[in-house]
Amino acid sequence: MYNFEIERPGTIEEAVAALAAEEAQALGGGQTLIPTLKARLAAPAKLVSLSGIAELKGLRREGDRLVIGSGTTHAEVAREAAEAYPALAALAGGIGDPAVRNRGTIGGSLANNDPSACYPAAVLASGATVITSTREIAADDFFQGMFTTALDDGEIITSVSFPVPQAASYQKFEQPASRFALVGVFVAKFADGVRVAVTGASEDGVFRWSEAEAALSEDFSADAISGLSVSPEGMIGDLHGTPEYRAHLVKVLTGRAVAAA
Amino acid sequence: MAERTRFTLNGAAVEIAAAPGERLSRVLRERLGARDVKVGCEAGDCGACTVLLDGAPVCACLVPAQRAQGRRVETLSGLVAQDPRARALAESFQDFAAAQCGFCTPGMMVAATALLRETPAPDEARVQEALAGVLCRCTGYRKIVAAVMAAGRRAGRRRAAEGGVGTAIRRIDGAAKVEGREAFGDDIAPPGTLEIRLVRSPHAHAAFTFGDLETFAARPGIEAVLTARDIPGLNRFGVIPAFADQPVFAERLARFRGEAVAAIVAAPEALRALAAEDFPVTWQELPAVQGLAEATAPGAPQLHEGRPGNLLCEGLVQCGDAPAALAAADVVVEGVFETSFVEHACIEPEAGFARIDGEGRLEVHACTQAPMMDREALARILSWPVERIRIRPTAVGGGFGTKLDLSVQPFLALAAIRTGRPVRLAYSRAESMQSTTKRHPARIHLTVGAARDGRLRGFDFTGDFDTGAHASWGPTVADRVPVHASGPYRVADYRARTRAIHTHAPPAGAFRGFGVPQAAFAQECLFDELAAKLGMDALEFRLLNALDEGAATVCGQVFERGVGIRACLEALRPGWAAECAAAEDFNAGGGRRRRGVGLAAGWYGCGNTSQSGPSTIRAGLRADGALVLHQGAVDIGQGANTVIAQIFAQALGVPLSALTLVGPDTDLTPDAGKTSASRQTFVSGNAARLAGEALRARILRLANAGPGARLIAGGGRLGVLDNGKTHEINPARLPADSEGYVLRAEKSWDPPTRALDENGQGAPYAQYGYGAQLAVVEVDMALGTTRVLRMAAAHDVGRAINPLLAEGQVEGGIAQGLGMALMEEYVPGRSENLHDYLIPTAGDVPPVEVMIIEEPDPLGPYGAKGLGEHALVPTAAALANAIAAATGVRPRRLPITPARLRALIRAAEK
Ligand SMILES: Cc1cc2nc3c(=O)[nH]c(=O)nc-3n(C[C@H](O)[C@H](O)[C@H](O)COP(=O)(O)OP(=O)(O)OC[C@H]3O[C@@H](n4cnc5c(N)ncnc54)[C@H](O)[C@@H]3O)c2cc1C
Ligand code: FES
Ligand code: FES
Repeated sequence: MYNFEIERPGTIEEAVAALAAEEAQALGGGQTLIPTLKARLAAPAKLVSLSGIAELKGLRREGDRLVIGSGTTHAEVAREAAEAYPALAALAGGIGDPAVRNRGTIGGSLANNDPSACYPAAVLASGATVITSTREIAADDFFQGMFTTALDDGEIITSVSFPVPQAASYQKFEQPASRFALVGVFVAKFADGVRVAVTGASEDGVFRWSEAEAALSEDFSADAISGLSVSPEGMIGDLHGTPEYRAHLVKVLTGRAVAAA
Repeated sequence: MAERTRFTLNGAAVEIAAAPGERLSRVLRERLGARDVKVGCEAGDCGACTVLLDGAPVCACLVPAQRAQGRRVETLSGLVAQDPRARALAESFQDFAAAQCGFCTPGMMVAATALLRETPAPDEARVQEALAGVLCRCTGYRKIVAAVMAAGRRAGRRRAAEGGVGTAIRRIDGAAKVEGREAFGDDIAPPGTLEIRLVRSPHAHAAFTFGDLETFAARPGIEAVLTARDIPGLNRFGVIPAFADQPVFAERLARFRGEAVAAIVAAPEALRALAAEDFPVTWQELPAVQGLAEATAPGAPQLHEGRPGNLLCEGLVQCGDAPAALAAADVVVEGVFETSFVEHACIEPEAGFARIDGEGRLEVHACTQAPMMDREALARILSWPVERIRIRPTAVGGGFGTKLDLSVQPFLALAAIRTGRPVRLAYSRAESMQSTTKRHPARIHLTVGAARDGRLRGFDFTGDFDTGAHASWGPTVADRVPVHASGPYRVADYRARTRAIHTHAPPAGAFRGFGVPQAAFAQECLFDELAAKLGMDALEFRLLNALDEGAATVCGQVFERGVGIRACLEALRPGWAAECAAAEDFNAGGGRRRRGVGLAAGWYGCGNTSQSGPSTIRAGLRADGALVLHQGAVDIGQGANTVIAQIFAQALGVPLSALTLVGPDTDLTPDAGKTSASRQTFVSGNAARLAGEALRARILRLANAGPGARLIAGGGRLGVLDNGKTHEINPARLPADSEGYVLRAEKSWDPPTRALDENGQGAPYAQYGYGAQLAVVEVDMALGTTRVLRMAAAHDVGRAINPLLAEGQVEGGIAQGLGMALMEEYVPGRSENLHDYLIPTAGDVPPVEVMIIEEPDPLGPYGAKGLGEHALVPTAAALANAIAAATGVRPRRLPITPARLRALIRAAEK
């Protein structure tokens, strides 16, 4: 059945209450959820629209962190994070096309955890904290394999808190039509070390490339990783690229991200 | 329960009871009459449904209607009426011919309006980014981007609406396209019309049995369930009657994923309440053959009785002695080349509407390239006389060959007859991709030799073409390829053999070029290798061997005039030298990016191969003074409406504005043949010229005027100005025939051809069009990605009836060729949508310098030749040659995806 009701709560509490119903599901920008409904992969009886909840929207600085409401669209992040966290703003500005960016939200992207989505790489590489209606989840615990996260049923993401790195860059090899990442690498350099997160490549979803992190923490230059190699094992193989190709891209793009950071 | 949703639509307050979860795109189209919002995918991929929501462009298909509550929705028709920027875009789109079929136009213009509101004079990059989410399959985007930039600056060249042959006037159907008034296949049915849903095979090869269809059909809301048993006539169709083998509904056995086995006819709400699992059918998957190797392996499952080895047919052209010449050649090159299924990806999925009229006749409105063929095929399926069937083609949102074959028509016809009620059917994107025809994948083995002096010596070509589960145009491809595989060159010792082979895949049919682009890929790549081995410049090598007037083609046909390949190649000479030097300089700098320049040429025989293929055009003067042109050639975006009218008006000697046009309709327009094989300008154009001349002669005779007299038409009057005297003709006083005509002329024209003998010798086409293209690419050696920086294209069109539209054909052809070369690969079950199946977007198509060459054709109307197909014949080859020049590796498989190219580079590095 392609039949659902939409509830439009005005507060997080109301949303959580609405989501307690059988088969209820949160609706962010709908850019992922609506097409899958048509395909009947998912058929919730009730969608709980988060777009009317003011507290889920917008960006704010909290000390040296940037906190982004889960209902903030990609277009808003692209515009408004440009000063505070340029690499993140650039990532958001490179998602899909204007129509997708005008509707899609950071919360939806993270909750969905598509293996080739962009935001998961930024969140993981930044070591951000995902704040939900019930708790705070460290990025390292949040992503649990493709399309799987630590979120419980009925739990909604309310915001994401990013520590702002000293330098960062996201490099993606984008698919021409959708701009999804065939492989994307986010490199973030902090005072206490470098984090590297890779999306699009692994069958386990977004992951950290720890060898590169170690090497780059020693020496933040593209040369530092030239001796490393990425195993094609566990990489995605599909129409657009073999596991070997993806493994190769991980390394090339990491080098380019370091150079661009 | 349905709650009321209120919002403003183009400034007016509206209130609707949207069904829960109903998409905004559907609500706008079906409940609010906004048919200017188009639907191409319902997945956020194509952008055809772009509307403004509180001023921001969004895909209406991804917005549940309830979410529009309290907001501002704007669509193209409202914007054009209310926003001066949109109005400027509407003018500019017409001046640049930025709308071809016009199906993407609403999405493009809506997105562009939002951009211009924010950035009044955007640069090219900004425009490309703003339009990145809207796909166009016709134009190659360059004219769209230019139109948006010009609209922003209120600059750009204005084009007249009036002009004879040779004038770059606006399309005569352009205003409807830019104002959202054009009605495509799914725009005819009134809201609430019964809909059809097809039940399709989920497997490439499967046996199936139905459960209790009667109980299913008795469900509330279901009007009918149709299967093969319900076909009164022949459950077979095919564009070539002798090979017709495709069932409307499969019987017991489905031969490709997506083949229809049953249809459910029901009210829209009832259909939406139905889940796929509800339909009683049981599938038993069977071993399937995919690809040419499997299909031809011993013991392979066989698709059709009487076609052993899955062989549909073969083709052959030979002259001289190819093996002997190759043995004696000084230099020989050889290679195996492979290409993939390519999907037409018309932005408009197949759609239509049918009803039974007051006299019990069937009327089918659908997007099609071949109304008369549709009518004949339906007559056989229904076992009805053709006179009882009327085909009224809608505007066609892209065709490129795929809308020559039947798609929605038989289902519409059967359902309308069974229920006695109007019915509609629009394929989803997935259905369209699964079930309609594709470009044939090819596996080509080619050996070419040359003498030390560079002259070709021996050419041996064998090509297997995967024609999928049913014949479609497979025999045409098998016939056309051997005739064209030489390219536009003199080859004395030639042999080309082809086979069309069945696999359990969607039928491969006609796609711009009928197999010729695949052959050109092999031939033009090997010519580069041959030139390199000889130490010759690639352009000089081609010029040395180029076909000339008076020289025989591989079929032994000699053209005394109109052979334009040399002129095309010469036109590229300055660019070739400059680009090669520039690439060398760039590469001398080192770095991971390398540039390369590539060339390729091509030719294309216009019209049917050695077969009669006439067009008939009717025209007349009505008693009310109207000069009427009955023009049955379907315009699929390429511009037939405009070009044929321009030819007719020129021949008659009146301005275009004096004409009343009657478009394709099997009741009203005589047979102008199918829109394929680049034949409409050539063949229907000639019929239009003859009809115009004949009508003119009748008018002049009436006025006793000499041949040089001028016609003065308009406002219900017709004057003939001769020797300074005006003779008034008052049509109202002349006797009218049953259709109201006081004068009429109907003329046919059939291109003269001669049958091919057993060696393929004869005169297959009355004319060829020629083209040559140059590509400049930059390859990222580490990633394997190719960026096309620039292209130049010289095409011999004989005479450009409308240079603006001719340019559009070249740019659009190049964009499709680029897709075929670099990204497009249809794999059943894996790329059945527009995000896994990649087509070029606004940012992927480079600037194209189009050079129109005019070597008049003695037979063409005013010298014109066909163009639609040779626009893309050389493109993939030119790109492959450029990539080889940049990288030093030779891709022999299309598409040259980054992964494949990187693997070749890596292998070479080792
Ligand atoms: C054409 C196209 C191109 C795209 N290109 C890219 C690209 O280049 N890169 C990229 O990263 N993405 C891309 N996307 C995906 C896009 O970014 C989506 O917007 C995003 O993945 C989902 O966000 P949403 O707000 O639309 O979520 P929805 O579709 O509304 O929801 C997605 C899932 O998240 C859940 N959800 C939503 N919000 C919350 C929340 N606050 N808390 C808990 N669960 C929630 C929903 O229940 C659902 O399961 C593309 C999409 C399209 C259609
Ligand atoms: S129909 Fe909405 S994006 Fe294609
Ligand atoms: S004009 Fe753009 S799809 Fe046809």
